[in-house]
Amino acid sequence: MTMTDGIKRRDFLKVLGVSSAGVAASGCSTSEVEKLLPYVVAPEEITPGVSTWYTTVCGSCSAQCGMWVRTREGKAVKVEGNPNHPVSAGGLCSRGHASLQHLYNPDRFAGPMIREGDNLRQGTWAEAEQLLAAKLRAASNVMYIGGNTGPSMNRLIDEFVSAVGGTRVEYDAVSDAALQEAARMAYGSTALPRYDIENARLLVSFGNDFIEYGSSPVAHNKGLSKMSAVDDHQSKGRFVYLGARLSTTGLNADEWIPIVPGTEAAVALGMASVIAGDVSDAGPYADVLRSYTPTTAASVAGVSEDAIRELAERFVADGPTLAMGPGAGANHRGATAAHIAVMILNHVAGNVGRTVHYDAGVTAAASSYADMESAVSAMAAGQVGVAIVHGANPAYTMPSASGFAEAFAQVGFKVSFASAMDETAAMADLIMPDRHFMEAWGDSMPRNGVMAIQQPVMQPVPHFDSKQAGDVLVAVANQLGNGLGSATFYEYLRSGHMEMHDASMGDFETLWADALRTGAVEHDMAMGMATGNAMDLQAPDTALSFDPPPMDSGGDLMLIVHPSPRFGAGEFSNSPWMQELPDPVSKITWHSWLEMNPHTAEQRGIREGDIVSVASGNGSVDVPVWLYPGIREDAVALAMGGGHTDMGRWATGNGVNVMDLLPSESEQVSGAQVTLVTSVTVTPTGERRRIATIEGSSDQHDRPIAPAVALADLGHAEEGDHEDDGHGPLMELQGVGGFVPVDANGGTPEAFPLAGTDHGEYADAHEKPRWSLAIDLDKCTGCSACVTACHSENNVPWVGEDQVLMGRDMNWVRIERYYEHVDATQAGELDVRFLPMMCQHCGNAPCEPVCPVFATYHTPEGVNVQVYNRCVGTRYCANNCPYKVRVFNWYRYTDENVPEPMNWQWNPDVTVRTNGIMEKCSMCIQRIRETENRAALEDGRPINDGEIVTACQQSCPAEAIVFGNIRDPNSRVSQVVSSERTYRVLDELINTQPAVNYLKKVTFHEVTGGHE
Amino acid sequence: MSTVTKDRTARGALAHPDVTRLDDVNRDVLKPLTGPPGKGWWMMLALCGAGIGMFFGAWGWQIYRGMGVSGLNAPVGWGVYITTFVFWVGIAHSGTLISAILFLFRAPWRQSIYRAAEAMTVFAVMTAGLFPLIHVGRLWHAYWLIPYPNSRFLWPNFKSPLVWDVFAVTTYFTVSAVFFYLGTIPDVAAARDRAVGLRKKLYQVISLGWQGTDRQWHHFGKAYIFLAALATPLVLSVHSVVSWDFAMSIVPGWHATIFAPYFVAGAIFSGVGMVITLTVPMRKFFGLEAYLTTKHYDAMAKLCLLTSMIVLYAYMSEFFMAWYSGEEIERTAFWNRLFGDYWWATWIMLVCNGMVPIMLWFKRVRHSIPALFVISIFINIGMWFERFVIVVTSLHHEYEPFAWGMYRPSVTEMMIMVGSFAWFGFWFLLFTRLLPPIAIQELKEVLPPPMRKQKEAH
Repeated sequence: MTMTDGIKRRDFLKVLGVSSAGVAASGCSTSEVEKLLPYVVAPEEITPGVSTWYTTVCGSCSAQCGMWVRTREGKAVKVEGNPNHPVSAGGLCSRGHASLQHLYNPDRFAGPMIREGDNLRQGTWAEAEQLLAAKLRAASNVMYIGGNTGPSMNRLIDEFVSAVGGTRVEYDAVSDAALQEAARMAYGSTALPRYDIENARLLVSFGNDFIEYGSSPVAHNKGLSKMSAVDDHQSKGRFVYLGARLSTTGLNADEWIPIVPGTEAAVALGMASVIAGDVSDAGPYADVLRSYTPTTAASVAGVSEDAIRELAERFVADGPTLAMGPGAGANHRGATAAHIAVMILNHVAGNVGRTVHYDAGVTAAASSYADMESAVSAMAAGQVGVAIVHGANPAYTMPSASGFAEAFAQVGFKVSFASAMDETAAMADLIMPDRHFMEAWGDSMPRNGVMAIQQPVMQPVPHFDSKQAGDVLVAVANQLGNGLGSATFYEYLRSGHMEMHDASMGDFETLWADALRTGAVEHDMAMGMATGNAMDLQAPDTALSFDPPPMDSGGDLMLIVHPSPRFGAGEFSNSPWMQELPDPVSKITWHSWLEMNPHTAEQRGIREGDIVSVASGNGSVDVPVWLYPGIREDAVALAMGGGHTDMGRWATGNGVNVMDLLPSESEQVSGAQVTLVTSVTVTPTGERRRIATIEGSSDQHDRPIAPAVALADLGHAEEGDHEDDGHGPLMELQGVGGFVPVDANGGTPEAFPLAGTDHGEYADAHEKPRWSLAIDLDKCTGCSACVTACHSENNVPWVGEDQVLMGRDMNWVRIERYYEHVDATQAGELDVRFLPMMCQHCGNAPCEPVCPVFATYHTPEGVNVQVYNRCVGTRYCANNCPYKVRVFNWYRYTDENVPEPMNWQWNPDVTVRTNGIMEKCSMCIQRIRETENRAALEDGRPINDGEIVTACQQSCPAEAIVFGNIRDPNSRVSQVVSSERTYRVLDELINTQPAVNYLKKVTFHEVTGGHE
Repeated sequence: MSTVTKDRTARGALAHPDVTRLDDVNRDVLKPLTGPPGKGWWMMLALCGAGIGMFFGAWGWQIYRGMGVSGLNAPVGWGVYITTFVFWVGIAHSGTLISAILFLFRAPWRQSIYRAAEAMTVFAVMTAGLFPLIHVGRLWHAYWLIPYPNSRFLWPNFKSPLVWDVFAVTTYFTVSAVFFYLGTIPDVAAARDRAVGLRKKLYQVISLGWQGTDRQWHHFGKAYIFLAALATPLVLSVHSVVSWDFAMSIVPGWHATIFAPYFVAGAIFSGVGMVITLTVPMRKFFGLEAYLTTKHYDAMAKLCLLTSMIVLYAYMSEFFMAWYSGEEIERTAFWNRLFGDYWWATWIMLVCNGMVPIMLWFKRVRHSIPALFVISIFINIGMWFERFVIVVTSLHHEYEPFAWGMYRPSVTEMMIMVGSFAWFGFWFLLFTRLLPPIAIQELKEVLPPPMRKQKEAH
């Protein structure tokens, strides 16, 4: 083009604009980024502004879920569940999302730390490795304490430990040791059983909180939701929870039998004795069955005999069924026996091989606490020259009564691989900060036949001079002259896989590339797991007592200690996302609380928020009381994960450490740590505090917020049924020219655009999609994974405890939890409703007309958008929002609360908001736009249904959320919404015409009172 | 005005039995302008100055740190700021009511109080007008609410009651300020004639060369009656629009058709209450007892009584309608108002606005200026709480029970709220020393014609 061609002024300005925008953009970034990568020669796989996704394995816990990591310009910005993973299959839990914060945790060590007197100084890696090698050379007895790692790392550690002539002590703070021992005894399996929850029609959990922790919370969550959701044939599985306290898992049950803790074995055997017409079904346990009847069970469990008998009868009649033994978090002195009793129950009900598999070789944290106890004794006796702690924090997670800290102090040279400060690392002489799993190589075998590679998704975060523990071990072994055959851990890992490789599976390189690309490989190799006889019960090789185990006396209330769904056993505590995530049960953030039944509290004159002193024989803690109807009246509960003394800025000082109350004891049979054994006294201290909760009221107040429908009523909706809650009368009133609302039950595609809504700024809405969400409350388990996913995707800031106390939490989506029927005194129905509440993207949005500056308005696609730049902050929109989903930036949260390099986690596609403006759920508009842009570049093809996935939907293990175009009758969202269970929150009352459609929860019992 | 003088003379004279000579009027009314200010006045001014310092200090802190220094939160997005805004707009009401509406209705008792009431109006709007600015999250963008052609091609949202508010308040301020100023011209001229030095120069400018010619009086009278007619609808409109800030929403407790008349009546109630609160000490300090007599206070008390009953009726009607509607959410909202977390605010409101004014039925109370002063303080408190009840109790328990929450005003908010009284008081104190606090020219119209004998005696 020449000037004579007539370059137009406008074109010139365009060119000028583009080039100056480029200058401006690069100008912005230089001051922020420390290691600037100029794209003079751009790395092939990095395109600025375009995301690159890598598969890896979540290294946050022993469940080893498959993960996708989205990277932008070389930084990990979002993690998601890998749908190709054979075990986790797409979902991801909150803790998995929070791994991003551990990657960018500003409290990570800047480099290897070497103790000099009372201080730690930063050293070089060469120095640190030489020091370790020297100490190992000199030391007499080396002890390697570590948790569950991938198979290759496991092998490396074993080889390393034998090379240096040391001992290895496996330690997991939360361990399935009792279950594993039971599986070994009863079925000869060296792994954990695999549960096929999805295919059970009646699920009985004996206090197993399987969607919160255990061998695979995400997969179990998915299974539970599939099992318990109503299907096309209007049938749904029933979930019965037997336990003293309702966990998140328990709150999803249809029935609750609040048995006395420790009586699981008696109840399971009582049920089994009813089922087994002939006790010989129980094989070697026939004698046991003879001595247990529902009568004996009822007498110890504190529930009626009828309840047990009736449940037992259903347990065979409703098959296939599944019973799950006590959870990993609450082992008592008879935990192994309880697991075996449940195995007997499954066995006599014919569930083995159907819903529970002992030959699947599920791996998870299952180390024995007894080993750790002897390790402590050895250390205390001064027999340990060098102790290396890797992937564990026993100084915090072991009961203070165990004397770990004192014993550890006796060790000659203490080494920690902690990447950030924790209580154990604080005592160490040498800290060799490990890489985060997103920066390191590894592998995982979540169950037999599934192999996944954990590949680094980015260069190590440059702020921290870290080195992978595997590389350190290889290097130190080489220095010691005991080379492990590889120069790096990567080589070691790969050569290990090469050795294992079976030529029948094809070319190794192809397979390796495949594994990296898709995230996991399924194969049929046994991988050396002895599975024993997976079908027949074997006689126990140790004497077992199935009677309720003895509990420590001393107090008058049983103390239930459970891993926190947010913090696990405390390893996730230094994440503001986890601290600020409302607990799925209590909705409390940041601090610890003691759960107490309201009746118990009333009898003792305790009010919610009273700070009480909880004392056992081992210690006491002061903690505020939270009243919870979902706990037995003779018990109180405390979660693990609080009260860190040395774990970074967010964890330290928040809450109390429940380990101060527990004895250090292992179960005799399995060696599992005994956590359910203590009785406590609860004394008010006279002080009070406000609870940092996001909960206003747990009662729906008869409002149509989270209605339910009885299973029996499904499919029998009569014509007149909807008139009461429909828009009939309103339609008449408003038919004279105002809004003509859509029929309340008419969420069908034809109903859009709603008559009367296509005026003004909604013009040409007909040609555009109408984006919509469908949320099935029958599937939602309240796990809150979506909340953290949303925080991560949308740069939602955390605000801190003080601000939560003021009611300023910033959640774009909150999981409302309403009690409908919770009775801790007797067996019976349980009805607790979870409702994920986010912006409803109303067609007739109350927030829009009140904004004086059009900062919130409707796009033609039906998305209610918030224009941050335009917002002046009158907050009228928030006042007028009936759903209360708008949150305000009271301070510069994104600035003030986020230290470098935590800001690396920001999603570059989403504006980071400043103070004084309103924000809310955007339906992940950036994802919609990204997909639209991609489709436009690909010859303007239409967007496929399911191509756009919102962050909450992606993360939901229960698959309760569906996003799509509701104008397309074939889209999944349209089909889901065509259910008779569809309703829109409050729409019938205030005609907001939301784009978020909910599907009512389905209950077995009749729904009475208020709104159905 | 001369056309109506005759009729009012007799009744007006009755109200001022102790004022017999026109000269006394000039002397007494202009005394605060010419005499030494006195220690009390300076102390009050210093107090107000300190309060203003606190006001702007707290506001500045809020701008610097963010809205977080308030106690506002997610369910309660509006609190003390909007409460105080509506309170001051309400106060602003009665000035124009007294000067314009009562002028048109020929109520003779207005002459002695309308100047002070008008001044109060102007200063109250000046105070109220600050609060929308105080409460927005991004003050530096608040001008986006003003419609003006701009490079963004964006106009404000004319559907939003907040935009209406901008119009209503600015219009009201403009008209009441002009009306106030116009009325002072002849009096300022009278002050000019007595003043010396800088003060004289100031009055010369303000009085616009007023000479008291017939022609000037003629134009003045026309302009005054015209402005009175213009201001009258504004009296009704401004508080109606403010009420729509609430009524146009869907918040239970806000969304009610009764809001406009209810707010207007409440505004007159609080405004007259504030006139009593302000004029009782003013009358005392400046020796104006002869001009502000029990007759005036009796009339104002009756106006209070009337509006109190209207307001009480509105409360009753709201509670009745909440029950009668059968609408569960509405019912809960009003039940919560009476017996919920903020029950005390509601009961303060009911007692101050509904119970205490019952005493005004008694003539003895109406004629006791100390009693009226005390009752007027109750009215001020009650009307502030009325707005607090409407704003806060409606928001904190709204539709979504899980999102219910509590609001606790912060120290910063209280400092700004208290500071706003200092800001208002500062202007009012300046007014008492700079402008004739009573309309000399209108007062003279109602006095009996001067007697020769008296003049000779002088």
